[in-house]
Amino acid sequence: MATRKTIKTRPVPARSLKKEAAAPKRGSRLAAAVDAERNGAVVEADDAADAAVDASTNGQSHAGANGKPPRRATAQSMAAKQRDISVSEFFAKNRHLLGFDNPRKALLTTIKEAVDNSLDACEEAGILPEIWVHIEQTSADRYKVGIQDNGPGIVKKQIPLIFGKLLYGSKFHRLRQSRGQQGIGISAAGMYGVQTTGKPVKIISRIGAKKPAHYFEIQIDTKRNEAKILNGGGEGVDIPPGDKGVKEIERHGIEWVDVPHGTRVTIELEAKFIRGRGSVDEYLYQTAIANPHITLHYTDPEGNTRDYQRAADRLPPEPKEILPHPYGVELGRLAAMLGEAEGETITQFLVGKFSRVTPAVARKICTAAKVSPRAWAKRLGRQEADALFQAIQATKIAPPATDCICPIGEELILKGLHQVVPGEFYAAATRPPAVYRGNPFQIEVGLAYGGAAATQNVDKDLLFDLLEETDARTVRQFLIHTFNGLGAEAADRILKAAGLGTRQTPKTLKPKERLRLLEAMQNVNVAEGQSMEVMRYANRVPLQFQQAACAITQTITSTNWRSYGLSQSRGGLPKGPVYIMVHIASVWVPFTSESKEAIASYPEIQKEIRLGLQAVGRKLGMYVRKRLRVKQQSDRREIFMRYLKEVAGAVSDVNGVDKDGLYSQLLSVAKRVTADADMKLDDRGRKIKDEAAELDFGENVLIVDPVTHAASINRAAAATAAENTAE
Amino acid sequence: MARKKLTTAAKAPKVKLTPRDEKTAERLTGLADRVVTAANNRRDPYVEIPSRTLANVKYSPRKKIIEMGSATNRRQLFDLSQAKAYMRTMLVASGCKKLIDQGKSTSLRGMFYMLKHTIEGSKENTFDDQGECDTIIEDVEVLLQSIREELHLYAENRGAMVGNITFTDKGDEINCAKMGSGGYAIPSIVEPDVIVLDKTKCKAKFILHVEKGTVWQRFNEDRFWEKHNCILTHGSGQPPRGVRRMLHRLHNELGLPLYCVLDNDPWGYYIYSVIKQGSINLAFESQRMAIPEAKYLGLRSIDFERCQLSDSVKIALNDTDRKRARQVAQYPWFEKKPKWQTEIRKMLSNDFKLEVESLISKDISYVTEEYVPARLKEQDWLD
Repeated sequence: MATRKTIKTRPVPARSLKKEAAAPKRGSRLAAAVDAERNGAVVEADDAADAAVDASTNGQSHAGANGKPPRRATAQSMAAKQRDISVSEFFAKNRHLLGFDNPRKALLTTIKEAVDNSLDACEEAGILPEIWVHIEQTSADRYKVGIQDNGPGIVKKQIPLIFGKLLYGSKFHRLRQSRGQQGIGISAAGMYGVQTTGKPVKIISRIGAKKPAHYFEIQIDTKRNEAKILNGGGEGVDIPPGDKGVKEIERHGIEWVDVPHGTRVTIELEAKFIRGRGSVDEYLYQTAIANPHITLHYTDPEGNTRDYQRAADRLPPEPKEILPHPYGVELGRLAAMLGEAEGETITQFLVGKFSRVTPAVARKICTAAKVSPRAWAKRLGRQEADALFQAIQATKIAPPATDCICPIGEELILKGLHQVVPGEFYAAATRPPAVYRGNPFQIEVGLAYGGAAATQNVDKDLLFDLLEETDARTVRQFLIHTFNGLGAEAADRILKAAGLGTRQTPKTLKPKERLRLLEAMQNVNVAEGQSMEVMRYANRVPLQFQQAACAITQTITSTNWRSYGLSQSRGGLPKGPVYIMVHIASVWVPFTSESKEAIASYPEIQKEIRLGLQAVGRKLGMYVRKRLRVKQQSDRREIFMRYLKEVAGAVSDVNGVDKDGLYSQLLSVAKRVTADADMKLDDRGRKIKDEAAELDFGENVLIVDPVTHAASINRAAAATAAENTAE
Repeated sequence: MARKKLTTAAKAPKVKLTPRDEKTAERLTGLADRVVTAANNRRDPYVEIPSRTLANVKYSPRKKIIEMGSATNRRQLFDLSQAKAYMRTMLVASGCKKLIDQGKSTSLRGMFYMLKHTIEGSKENTFDDQGECDTIIEDVEVLLQSIREELHLYAENRGAMVGNITFTDKGDEINCAKMGSGGYAIPSIVEPDVIVLDKTKCKAKFILHVEKGTVWQRFNEDRFWEKHNCILTHGSGQPPRGVRRMLHRLHNELGLPLYCVLDNDPWGYYIYSVIKQGSINLAFESQRMAIPEAKYLGLRSIDFERCQLSDSVKIALNDTDRKRARQVAQYPWFEKKPKWQTEIRKMLSNDFKLEVESLISKDISYVTEEYVPARLKEQDWLD
């Protein structure tokens, strides 16, 4: 970058015409970009590229000139190349701004945008969402992604606009809690697909059972930020309802699920499918937790299906749109709003355009700003606007109404976590709404604590059944897919302990090997070295990247979890089989960047998060301690049991008393002494951890017996269905 | 619930028990019966084991020995930290009962192997090393007030003796004047039913006890016992019970005075203390073992100057030594003896210790020909 700096510090030398001709395109682009956004990232990128060219030119001109370097370009020649750039062009070049930095993230972003849009649409229409996500590998680095919802559908005229035009949407101009905000997402995903594979975006949408489905194949004209419709002579095609229509859709390579109304978008794109952190799997899993009212069907490229059934049959209440609060408005925005205020006095403007401003408050503001309350808002000058802005900050205004926020709710958080995360203890806390910079927000925290992993609760018959049912190719895959929450690392440890190869097929395991596997599953402590899993949400959307930069993570690590019975090293996440979800709901979520990956650390937000964490932490602490006590008691009993036989034997050796009689008597004494532990032994001699009745956890705690926990084992669909009918 | 009938020693004894064995067996059975009674009454069985700590010993100025106090430690079966020890106590009791019933005895190590096994349904062993077993055996001794010999247990032979004395050991006549260079190995059990002393067959006039085998060898090679007409013993460091009991019997039954030649360090002082007053750990046996009249002949902390030893024989005291020395100085049986206080203070101010072997730097036989005879002649000893 050294060359670039030298260019910046001296006057721009004129460029020789010859050189100009050699790189005309580059120059023009630079000019245009500078015009469009003086300090933007575009300029940075192109400027850097140009710097190299400049440097070489520079060297030549220095060598040839006699002290005075010739001018490279005149103002006129530069003006000729300065022109508009379309927003699509801008984002086509800066796809990383939208989350398309690499093929792996592109896949995730595409699905994320589509699912978010679907959910927003369903909820706005008052439909319980059902989403289908289908990923299919078409070649080494290409994937076909299909996302369908049962939403209201889109009217024919709007389809090309929504999917083919960037910055087109309904959410940008209002202050209301929603997932999407700008209206860039899905069209950008389509654009990325077209750019990397050349395949058009395929959209099918139907608004009623008797209505025909509209079918569009769209490409985005990046120059004009417009959709180019490829099929039906630029008009799209209508597919009639019924079997015939379904067949026709199939012919286009679309896995349409026949619903009365809904939309399916199919995009083929260059991508990479990887499991683990920041993966599609994780995103859908986390979405299911925070949105217990949705049903999600997911088919991954390996053909595995995973169904997340809804845990709640009620839609969350519809969020209200609110007026901005004066504290949250910046000077530029205020000036712009003043400019738009047609035929209003300042008082009318303040009372009408903002929340919580009464005429009395407006008068106070005007007095402080030394502006007449009856002056026309539109006529206010820049300086007066500034004074008004200062006055607003100095005046005491009631905090904004907070009923515009729709939290998930403690009950639903528990349901969502329980449905998806294996565990035995769940707690949730929804904080009362609070305000940062005039924006109302609300923090919710959910916690799942799973003592024993699913693998440890499997008995012989169940394991053998599972081995029969599975279609996993290797034992390792079988373990990872069947037992939720079991990572690859833990699976490897189990296999090592069982002495099995990772690539062995589950179905061909010999009975002896199966028993070894069972033993290993029960003995390997999968929670060892596991640290807390943090799930971050903003308006019900999972945040998957930049974990360390996020206020949520920072607050979790700075909270002392040791007092809640977890071990934690300084400044780190606590250890143990703990899942924690933190949800911030707000009309305007403060992200650290446009990519919407981390929450900014406002003290008000951190404080609320901390209080929420402490609320669930206290309950966890109670549970963990109680469990520890039970465990100690049962350990005690085990120790006594072990020695009783020896004692009875020794005593009978000495005085010839009946050994078994004495043993059973000692046993009954032991039972009395360890009465606490005794309560928790069921008929099979297994410990029951269900202790809720004795402890007052307060509200919003869910304790389940991990043995019977449905979410812990992911059985093949057929088996689950059979089970359901049996029950 | 019907009360279980207590059965006492149901097994027909295979051998005729001596009255002493019968008494021990009775005590063992009593111990077991108490467990049964407790279980019948649905109570937590426990044993009260006399505490074997410094806090529970008391020095009797009249008898001049250490006696065990009345404090006991309760060992319960249903206590997490004591359950295993309780089980072990019962195991040792059953092992001893077996030995008595069969009229056999075994070494401490033998007992350890007899009782060591994996506990059913676990990977845990009853005992993991012999030390664990030995401690429990001592517990059982104090618990039953039966000494090791009565439990048919013996330790490894340690210590040796030579001298002008003849006695019988299990019917064999032992002439300690004809023991060659090795000497007579003092057995672990030297009770009258094993060793019979005869006053008429002892010509020796005193006993000289040295700390270690190496020093003992020096004295034996120089035929010290012949020249000075004495019995020469050693106890391989801290003398085992067999040696102490032997010394006690020689002293009390034959009226021989006892002189000790030990290293000049806190351990030497403590060995003397054990011989003289009894040990803290085995305070219950002091009566049978302590020899309050024993004298401390050397080495003294003044010996470095007195014998004009070279600097090279000094061994610097370490922190443990210093700490131990102060501890020893505070024992009630040393506390009121100004000579001993001077002795220990002198060692601490010297800040070095001396081994008996250091006298060899003067001359190989300095210790046998000059040092000990001179001390005996001058009657220069510590009491």
